[in-house]
Amino acid sequence: MLGLPLVFAAPMVLIALAALPALYFLLRVTPPPPKRIPLPTIPLVKDLVTPERQPARMPWWLLLLRLALAGIAILALAGPLWNPPPVESGAGRGPLVLLIDNGWGAAPDWPKRRDRAITLIETAVDRPVVLRAASEEAAIPTAVNARAAIERLRGLQPVPHSIDRAKQFAALASYAEATPQAEILWLSDRMATGTDEAATRTFIEKLGPRLRIIADERTPVRAIASASNERDAMVVKLVRPASGGESLGIVRALDSKGRPLGEAPFDFAGTAKAEAKIAVPLEVRNDISRLEIADGRSAAAVHLLDAGSQRRRVALVSGETADTNQPLVSGSYFVTNALAPYSTLLEAPRGSTDPIGRMLTDKPEVMVLVDVGTIAGATLDQLTAYVEDGGVLVRFAGSGLAASSDTLLPVRLRRGGRVLGGALSWEKPQRLAPFPAESPFAGLAAPQDVLIERQVLAEPTPTLNERTWAALADGTPLVTATRRGKGLIILFHVTADTSWSNLPLSGLFVDMFRRILPLAVTSGETRETGKELANPRRSLDGFGAFAAPPATAKAIPRNFPGPATRDHPPGFYGPPEATIAVNALAPDTTLPEIDFGAATRLPLNVQPPLDLRPALLIAAFLLFLLDALAVAWLAGLLSRRILTRAATGLLVAALAATLQPPPGKAQTPQAPKAAPTQQDISASLKTRLAYIVTGNREVDETSRLGLETLTRALANRTAFEPGAPVGLDPGKDEMVFYSLVYWPITPDQPVPSETALRRIDQFMKNGGTVIFDTRDATAMRSTAGTTAETRRLRQMLASLDIPEIEEIPRDHVITKTFYLLDRLVGRYAQGETWVEAIPRGASDEKRPARAGDRVSPVIITSTDLAAAWAHDRNGQPRYPMVPNEPRQREMALRAGINLAMYAMTGNYKADQVHIPALLDRLGQ
Amino acid sequence: MATARLTEPFSRRKSAGIEGEAHELARVLPRLALEARQVSAQVALGIHGRRRAGPGETFWQFRPFTSGEPADRIDWRRSARDDRLYVREREWESASTWWLWVDVSASMGYVSSLALAAKRDRAIVLGFAMADLLVRGGERVGLIGLSPPLSTRAIVPRLAEALLMHGDATGDLPEGPIPGPRDRVLLLSDFILPAEAFAERFHRLTSRGATGTCLMVRDPAETLFPFSGETEFEEAEHGERWRVGNAADMAQRYKERLAAHEAALRVTTTRRGWSFLTHGTDDTAADGLLRLAMLVENGASRAFGAR
Repeated sequence: MLGLPLVFAAPMVLIALAALPALYFLLRVTPPPPKRIPLPTIPLVKDLVTPERQPARMPWWLLLLRLALAGIAILALAGPLWNPPPVESGAGRGPLVLLIDNGWGAAPDWPKRRDRAITLIETAVDRPVVLRAASEEAAIPTAVNARAAIERLRGLQPVPHSIDRAKQFAALASYAEATPQAEILWLSDRMATGTDEAATRTFIEKLGPRLRIIADERTPVRAIASASNERDAMVVKLVRPASGGESLGIVRALDSKGRPLGEAPFDFAGTAKAEAKIAVPLEVRNDISRLEIADGRSAAAVHLLDAGSQRRRVALVSGETADTNQPLVSGSYFVTNALAPYSTLLEAPRGSTDPIGRMLTDKPEVMVLVDVGTIAGATLDQLTAYVEDGGVLVRFAGSGLAASSDTLLPVRLRRGGRVLGGALSWEKPQRLAPFPAESPFAGLAAPQDVLIERQVLAEPTPTLNERTWAALADGTPLVTATRRGKGLIILFHVTADTSWSNLPLSGLFVDMFRRILPLAVTSGETRETGKELANPRRSLDGFGAFAAPPATAKAIPRNFPGPATRDHPPGFYGPPEATIAVNALAPDTTLPEIDFGAATRLPLNVQPPLDLRPALLIAAFLLFLLDALAVAWLAGLLSRRILTRAATGLLVAALAATLQPPPGKAQTPQAPKAAPTQQDISASLKTRLAYIVTGNREVDETSRLGLETLTRALANRTAFEPGAPVGLDPGKDEMVFYSLVYWPITPDQPVPSETALRRIDQFMKNGGTVIFDTRDATAMRSTAGTTAETRRLRQMLASLDIPEIEEIPRDHVITKTFYLLDRLVGRYAQGETWVEAIPRGASDEKRPARAGDRVSPVIITSTDLAAAWAHDRNGQPRYPMVPNEPRQREMALRAGINLAMYAMTGNYKADQVHIPALLDRLGQ
Repeated sequence: MATARLTEPFSRRKSAGIEGEAHELARVLPRLALEARQVSAQVALGIHGRRRAGPGETFWQFRPFTSGEPADRIDWRRSARDDRLYVREREWESASTWWLWVDVSASMGYVSSLALAAKRDRAIVLGFAMADLLVRGGERVGLIGLSPPLSTRAIVPRLAEALLMHGDATGDLPEGPIPGPRDRVLLLSDFILPAEAFAERFHRLTSRGATGTCLMVRDPAETLFPFSGETEFEEAEHGERWRVGNAADMAQRYKERLAAHEAALRVTTTRRGWSFLTHGTDDTAADGLLRLAMLVENGASRAFGAR
């Protein structure tokens, strides 16, 4: 409309705008009503006033306001729509053909693409629609109605593998030829897959101007091409299209349970390739099973790793016999410790009759034989087959091997060893020569303190040099290796223990193994032939999330080379112990883009249409409020102050309405942070005793009065001057501020809520002390069993973490904290008091006071302490004591003081018993 | 923007009738009487007595006898305690007659949101409090046309009774002249009548030479005219209505007119030796009473000093 991206849903309503001039006249003649005010002095000014007056004319600004109000209301009713969906499917009546790329390349912005496609079909609502997804089987295109097409579109998901559009192109081209009025749209992800390049060019040329392509200017896709577990880091190679999106990003490494293990940034820096190094320790690196580009949202942004890049399984067989006597200097001990951090070690159980054969059934990648002499018979055949099938055999020399040799050695050995620097030798112990460049050990430093005193020697052969991985300074080989079949045989010419050399003690030994381990191919890669099939276990969907394998997924041969296809979606195949990972991309993938040539292009991004109706209605409403204010002001009902305030409010509301986000967007309200209450603030400023409010008024009053008396006594007699006691509701009040909480138990008390129990538990764990008082010492005697209070207490404590408790022993520190007491009495002299049991050590016998390392979190008594303390306002005791022994009330108060001091000082008094010893030690 | 209303007893609600009005007055008068006592108690210390020796009843002081005085002045009881002779002096008390006039016409019932009390209530409080003060000071106080001059401690209830009996008969100003030339008059009213009419009646009132004070009670809404917007004003006495358009437009002219009216009244009264005071009901009663009392005291001193 008028070149603006504005349309109206009901343009006929706009005719009402013509009625505005009528409104103008109508409004001008209606004056606002006057207000009536009594004023006795008015006769004095009679002549200033003309009794009859012209009705006031409406001020022009009010008129303007009302006209604007009416105009806006009419506009709002007309249903204006800013940025209407463009009409891109031309005016034709023929079928609309829509080809949608739904490979992994479309996944990152899939919702946008789907919405775009739905909008396209919605604008062609009365035309037949042919909807094809690029990943589908090529079938003869059939037209359906728009509604069914939208339904299908909503169900369409991106596939996790690369797509081959050639068949779709062929089918659609022939369809276009058959139906000349058909209109063809291709919602493309711009990713050329290599296989369909020629088909694409043909398709574009053939359809010419009839084809219109909807594609983004930039392709925001980034993918992981390959990842390799290098020496010091997991190296991830990333690719993107030349016009790709963001350069910077992060690659994350996750383990098989989805826990993050590490991450590394990458930067394409304008090129199409990037590299990220996730430098985490090898042990951790071995656990990586999934690498993903953060926020990648596509199957190709995920790279799965299988056992091929993971820990090697190493079988260790020792031929040593005496090593059980001194296991810590045996060869297998050194090998075990060198290998354990970097591999999964399998050891034959001691005393097994055929350890090598037994270990071979576990199919290790590396077999380490420590001083196993001759191998013969069936074991030799098995081991030979194992090596030829790809196994790595590492052998160590030893007296056994020096005596006799077999075929599973890289070089032929001379009988007998060579002793350097011994009593019978002229030669000195040898140091290591630098490692040859072609050796896997190349680059490792040869430490000068490694001395070889004895070794087995190889027969000199022409191939000896190339088989030598490490040599001594005089050139004799230390480590030799050779390929046998697909496997590898490595021989250390020294023993694995320290009797021949100190090599096993050096860090070089570990480094050598770390170099050897990656040489072993894993069982999944080549050791097995293609005969065995692995079933899909977990698959990636188009967005790179794990899902159950789709019904179309088929098992792969164990030597499946990748990349993923329709039949073999990316994911993990095979059983968990021999997993094969299939990824969406081949390691050498580049991501070329389709050259669309001269074909018509449409943008992928369209602004969503904006319904102006809510905004207009809000504006009209605000104008209405303004009008009401203005009328009120004209009528003099408002003072200027109120008017200013109201106008400000209106302005703020208007601004808020303008700044308000478009409706329909959910906002997550922030959970309000609980403000500290006044009680919390005062409690944190002064130490206080506290009691739990039970709901029983009598009991609560007793608790309060009792604690008040105790507070006074504490302030009078001790250095501890607490504030006024506080009643707590554990369900509501925070308890962290208190250290001693008195809790009288009443039988009718409700069991505390889950929150309250957790809070109490937390309180006790953090070092607080709760005195549970069942107040039933007399009742307990008469009923000779459990009272209602005790049962209630048990019920409450059942869900708390209560330590083991014991009756207060006479030497417990609680009887010594301030007064020296025999026992704690309350209103009842009889009742018992229980505290956390202190483990009794042998040395404790002589000590007069014992205490644990912390304050007992719980003190359970039945003596009704608060009732013993409670005095009313006149200072008169509130309850009689039972039995009324002469100093019982005083002793009860002393018990309370001891309890409070115990809660405040803990085991301090128990430590005091050491003072004589300390003084003694100081020589005093 | 002020709001205003007319208070109950003197509003023009004819349905209530004279009897109803009397009831209303009876309802509010005790309160006003009490308030008057309270207010006069606040001010009493300020003007109590003449504070000097003179003819009177109450003891003032003993002073040494000076030779030449009549011997019968000697207070023998006092002198017997001493070697010297003492004279008992009495406080100077001079009884003059004060006439009070409180306007309780309909316009006096006006109270706006800016005021603390209705004009009529304030006038009654001030009048009665003044009467109380004057009686305690030894004067006699009467209500013009309603009550003879009295000198009783229960002056306030007595005046209230009198006002209640004839309360409906008062206007802006008393009709007849004040009897004695030495009598003093206190007129409490809002004086809403044309300046010429006021002058004519004032001359008639003072034809026998009485002097006194006019206290004009005004509501702040009447002086400030805090009105704006389309307004219709309602007159108090007869309920006439005046439509004025935007009230704010005439505020300036209104204020000028009222100032001129007040000036005219002031000239008329001061020319006859009267004093003229204004009191706004947004001030406290004690404030108004204090000003009134100071004026009366000064006037009295001047009068006695001249005598």
